[in-house]
Amino acid sequence: MNKKRNSLLTIASIVALFLFLWYASAHFNKYSIRILNDIAIFMMLAVSYNLINGVTGQFSLEPNGFTAIGAYVSSLLTLTAAQKHAMFIIVPMIHPLDTLHLPFLAALIVGGLVTALVGFILAFPVFRVRGDYLAIVTLGFGLVIRVFSNNAISVTNGPLGLKGIGAYTNLWWSWGWAVFSLIVIMRLVNSGYGRAMKAIRDDEDAAIAMGINSFKIKMIAFVTSAFFEGVAGGLLAHLITTISPTLFTFFLTFNLLIIIVVGGLGSMTGTVIATVMVVWGSELLRVVDQPMHLFSFTIPGVPGMRMILFSVLLIVIMLFAREGIMGQKEFSWNGFLNFLRHRKQK
Amino acid sequence: MSILKCDNLIMQFGGLTAVNHFSFEIKAGAIKGLIGPNGAGKTTVFNMITGNYKPTSGRVLFFNEEITGLKPHKIVSRGMARTFQNIRLFTNLSVLENVMVGFHHKIKYKLYETVLRLPRFGAEEEKMRQMCISLLDRVGLKDKINLKANELPYGEQRKVEIARALATGPKLLLLDEPAAGMNPQETTDLMYFISEIRDKFDLTVLLIEHDMKFVMGLCENVTVLDHGEKIAEGKPVDVQKDKRVITAYLGESYA
Repeated sequence: MNKKRNSLLTIASIVALFLFLWYASAHFNKYSIRILNDIAIFMMLAVSYNLINGVTGQFSLEPNGFTAIGAYVSSLLTLTAAQKHAMFIIVPMIHPLDTLHLPFLAALIVGGLVTALVGFILAFPVFRVRGDYLAIVTLGFGLVIRVFSNNAISVTNGPLGLKGIGAYTNLWWSWGWAVFSLIVIMRLVNSGYGRAMKAIRDDEDAAIAMGINSFKIKMIAFVTSAFFEGVAGGLLAHLITTISPTLFTFFLTFNLLIIIVVGGLGSMTGTVIATVMVVWGSELLRVVDQPMHLFSFTIPGVPGMRMILFSVLLIVIMLFAREGIMGQKEFSWNGFLNFLRHRKQK
Repeated sequence: MSILKCDNLIMQFGGLTAVNHFSFEIKAGAIKGLIGPNGAGKTTVFNMITGNYKPTSGRVLFFNEEITGLKPHKIVSRGMARTFQNIRLFTNLSVLENVMVGFHHKIKYKLYETVLRLPRFGAEEEKMRQMCISLLDRVGLKDKINLKANELPYGEQRKVEIARALATGPKLLLLDEPAAGMNPQETTDLMYFISEIRDKFDLTVLLIEHDMKFVMGLCENVTVLDHGEKIAEGKPVDVQKDKRVITAYLGESYA
């Protein structure tokens, strides 16, 4: 009974979300639509990052590398042969790639699959170490990808980057993928596999002693998150239409880390809330960069002021909610309805 | 019939020989104790049996099949489970989830069935849930299943750890200092608890323990280790009188 009601509520809220997007795509201005797209893509990145970092407890710093792979692979596939020919002015592109052309969806999926494959191969050396060492190894991987994209000019066009990528990403693509990834990952977390991941996070040796093949479970988490990060990278590339190696620095990973820590390590719904807060919030705070008129005073605009305010807000959140907004809990309809009932009684 | 047989186990860490030519067997259905002073190599023996360490030389036979060098999770699925010296529960999971993790290696549903929520997923999860609840009922923790593991008192955490090990469906249960840190009342409870689950679940038990009252009251057979070597074996009453055992524990002037 409750189960049925809860899934109906979930479906209803997804429908409501898409109705809102339908309204937004017709009436909102370009700037707002861009923010909505950003929220969806970052949500997808953060949710998949949280799977490996929060749920499985492996402190990995790889998402900028994976996003870069997804972005490059899918954009190279959607660019036409003529475009590639015109763009690769330093060194012509290597052969089979220069004429290869795929539609957007196929390119995104191939981008995701290639990233997942890289994740699969990477998992063998990476998961030989744990904890801080894992962080350093994956950080190094991100740097390797950057150096590679700078220097493998016949594949990536080097520091010039790729330009003129078709702006195919719209609200439907980005939010469709975001909702899809959220559903897949939450289903994974709420299963025996997810339980095993959490067990590894809490105590890996005890998990192994309970018969869990910890390498396999970590691999599942890592490859799943690699796939969705790759797709998100593809969406990002087709949103901003120009990519270069400088786009995928450690700063991207760092932003995602902020989001999952603020939302609560291991909480997917917390991550969703935190993404909206961080991405949209940092746009809202642009007001403080502008000159302000308070009563009769005029405060000159200080560029960068919003970053200071943003940091202060983050500190405040971490002071009052040590484990992030949701901790390790998930939003549940039961809890939400109970909360509403409680308020009514008061 | 012997369920577990260790044959000439040697474990060296660099220049240190932690366990030297260690052999013993456990009969099916027995409760056997492994005792010895601190640093004697008891936990190292455990780690070699459960696959955490690969012995430098020697063999471990479980049901007459060699398991030396197998991965720990493989050994668990053959019917061996352990607990740890310091309780190692999954502290952020509920008591029920902790026990369900023990069932993990029996899960048959595949990844795609999980993501698509196909019927087999729901059926198996529900069956597993019921089995864990009935297991927790049998160990007397039924009304605590939804508490977080670290919210329980120490004695009950130990029970959860044992229940989690039982969930893997073991024939042989290895307990590393189960009574450590318990008060006399809890220790007595645990003694009854262990002999009770041995009968209920048809187990063989091997335990490391320092509490001699506990060992003497529970074990039918005891092996004594000192400096990595077996110095005595037999019934608790006989071992107690053994000269080398007294020397190892109290020094030569008492022997």
